[in-house]
Amino acid sequence: MQHKGNEMTAIVSCKGITKVFGKGELAVHALRGIDLDIMEGDFATLAGPSGSGKTTLLNMIGALDHPTEGEVTVDGQSLSGLSKSALSDLRLQKVGFIFQAYNLVPVLSARENVEFVLRLAKVSVAERRSRADAALAEVGLQGMETRRPSALSGGQQQRVAIARALVGRPRIVLADEPTANLDSKTTGELVDLMYRLNQDSGITFLMGTHDPRVMAHSKRHIEMEDGQIISDTRS
Amino acid sequence: MENFRLLAPLAWRNLWRNPRRTVITLFVVSVGLWSVLAMASFITAWAQSSRDATLRLLLAQGQIHAEGYLDNPNIDRLMDRPDATLLAALNAPEVSNWAARLELPAVVQSEYKTLPVSVVGVVPEAEIRISSVPEKLVEGRYLSGPEDDGAVIGLNLAKRLKTALGRRVILMITGEDGWLEERSFDVVGIYDADTAFEDTYVFTGQTAMQNMVGVGDKIAQIAFEVPQDDALSGVVDSLRAAAPTLDIRQWRDLSLMLGAMDASMDASVYVWMSVMMVMISIGVINTQLMAVFERIHEFGLLRALGLKPGHVLALVTLESVLLIGLGVLIGMAMGAATVWGLRDGIDLSAFSQALEAFKSGEVLYLEIKPIDYVIFPLAIWLLGVLVALWPAWRAAKISPVEAMRHAT
Ligand SMILES: Nc1ncnc2c1ncn2[C@@H]1O[C@H](COP(=O)(O)OP(=O)(O)OP(=O)(O)O)[C@@H](O)[C@H]1O
Ligand SMILES: [Mg+2]
Repeated sequence: MQHKGNEMTAIVSCKGITKVFGKGELAVHALRGIDLDIMEGDFATLAGPSGSGKTTLLNMIGALDHPTEGEVTVDGQSLSGLSKSALSDLRLQKVGFIFQAYNLVPVLSARENVEFVLRLAKVSVAERRSRADAALAEVGLQGMETRRPSALSGGQQQRVAIARALVGRPRIVLADEPTANLDSKTTGELVDLMYRLNQDSGITFLMGTHDPRVMAHSKRHIEMEDGQIISDTRS
Repeated sequence: MENFRLLAPLAWRNLWRNPRRTVITLFVVSVGLWSVLAMASFITAWAQSSRDATLRLLLAQGQIHAEGYLDNPNIDRLMDRPDATLLAALNAPEVSNWAARLELPAVVQSEYKTLPVSVVGVVPEAEIRISSVPEKLVEGRYLSGPEDDGAVIGLNLAKRLKTALGRRVILMITGEDGWLEERSFDVVGIYDADTAFEDTYVFTGQTAMQNMVGVGDKIAQIAFEVPQDDALSGVVDSLRAAAPTLDIRQWRDLSLMLGAMDASMDASVYVWMSVMMVMISIGVINTQLMAVFERIHEFGLLRALGLKPGHVLALVTLESVLLIGLGVLIGMAMGAATVWGLRDGIDLSAFSQALEAFKSGEVLYLEIKPIDYVIFPLAIWLLGVLVALWPAWRAAKISPVEAMRHAT
C-alpha cells in the first residue's frame, strides 16, 4: 500500500487473520480470513450477530491475543512474535481500550484509574495529574475526580473508561460494546462524546456493537458473520 | 521503584476490599505467632525455673568427686579436703559459692521401720549459701555447726518412719573398717521438699558424721555454684586444671534427666512452631487463592491496560507481604504485651502441690529471647510470603482474554 501526501494511512492492518479455538472435533473457527485496514481518523463500527467474531477480532487488533494465522500490524509494527511483555508495552502506548463493563479498578478513584496508564507509561507526577484531570473534564466528569467507581453511575463509569482510553494518546481506541449496559439516553450521550472526540481531535475509534444508535453515528460500518467480513461501507 | 509506588497503594487497598477475610487472616497469623512466642517464653521460663529450683536444692551447678565415687558412692572412694591449688580455684570470683559434703549410703531405723537413705554431712554455714534445704524447714531447726549431731530429715521420711521432731532415729553406715557403724540421732529439724527428695536425704553435721564413720576429715564431694550458667564450662575447665585427678562435672553431666528435659523443652517449642507454620500456610494459601479467583476479571483488565505478568505477580505478592507482615507485627506486639503484662511473674504457688513433680520454682518470669523474637516472626513472614507465591503466580499466568471473558 502506498501513502502519499494527505492520503490516509492505515493505523491497523490485518492480513489473512484466522483464529481457531480448541482442536480437532471441538475446534471453533472464530475468524476465517480477515483482511482489514483501519485508517487514521476512522470512526468505525463492527457489527454482526452474536458469535460472529467481533470480540475476537478486536482482541487480535488490541494485541490481547495471537491469531492462528495471518498478521496484524499496529502503527507500522507487526505483532507477530512479540513477547507478552512487549505486547503489554504496545497496548500501553498505542491502544486505548473500553470494555463492556467492569472497566475500572474498583479500589482506585476516577482520577487514579485514568492516571494508572500514565504511571505505567512513566509519565511524570505533575504531567499525569493535569492530563488525567483534563481527560476527565473532556468527558464531563469535572468534580468527580476523587470518586471511586462504586460511587459513579454506569454511564459515568464508561466516561471514566473513555478518559482512560484517551489519556495515553493512543493511535486507536478499541471499544467492545461500550454501551451494552447503558440506557438509551446515556448511550446517546456517550456516542455523542466519542463522536465529538473523533471529530475534534481526530482520534481513531473501532467499536464492536449491536446497538443501532451507535451505528447511526458511524462513518464506516463493517458487518461480520461467521468469522468473516461480509460488508465494509463508508457513509 | 516507580512500579513499587504504583503497586503498593493498590495492594494495600486490595487488602481491605474484603475486611472480614483480611481480619481472619490477620487473626490466624498473629495468634499463631503469639502462641509460639508465648509458648517459647513460658517454656523457657519454666525450664529455667524448674532447673534452678532443682539445682538450688542440693545438686548445685557442678560437683567435684574422687574418681569413681559417682559409679559407686561408698566409703573407699572419698576425697581429701581441697588442697591449696583447688582451694584457690574455688575461692576465685568465677565461683560464687561452694560447700564440702560427706555423703554416704545409709539405713535409717525407727521403732517401726528401716529405710535406705543417703546421709549428708554438711557444714551448715556453707550449706546455707548453696542449698535451699535450710530454707525448707517446716519444723525444728537446721543444723547449728559441723559438730551438730542432730538429724534433719524430710517430711515424708518422718511420716514413713512414724517419727517426729525430738524423737530419735538410728543411722547405720558402713564405716572405714568395713563394719556397720550404728548411732542414734535426735531429729532436730524436718524439711519439706518433693517426696522423692525427702525420702532420700538425711542431713547431719559433717564433723559428727566423720567421727562416726572414722574417716578423719575426708569428704565425698564439693558442690559449687557460678554466677552465670553460660560461664559454667569455663569454670569446670579451670577447676579440672587445678585438680586433674578429681572427677569434676557440671549439672548436665550429673543429672542426665535434667539435661534431657532442657533439650526436650526447646524441641516442644519447635514442634509447636511447625504446627503453627502449617496452619498459617494453609490459611494464607486459602485466602490468597480466593482473593485471586475473585478478581480474575480485574487481573484481565489490568493486563489489558498494559500491566505485565511480572507486575501482577508483584501486586499479589505485595498483598501477602503486607497482609502477613501486618499479622506478624500484631503477633509480635501481642507477644511483647503478654510478657510485659506478666512482668511481675506468674505465681504458681497455688498449683505447687499439683506441679510438685515438675519441681518448678513457684514464680515464673516470662522472657522472650531476643533471638526468638526475631527468628519466629521472620520465619512466619517468609513462609507466608513463600506459600502465597503460588496464588500470585496463578494470577500472573491469567491470560487477559480468558480473564475478560470471565464474568465477575
Ligand atoms: N477463548 C475462547 N475459547 C473458545 N471459543 C471461543 C473463545 N473466544 C471466543 N470463542 C468462540 O469464538 C466465536 C466468536 O466469539 P466472539 O466472542 O468473538 O463473538 P462476538 O461476535 O463478540 O459475539 P457477541 O456479540 O456475543 O459478543 C464464538 O463461537 C465463541 O464461542
Ligand atoms: Mg463480543
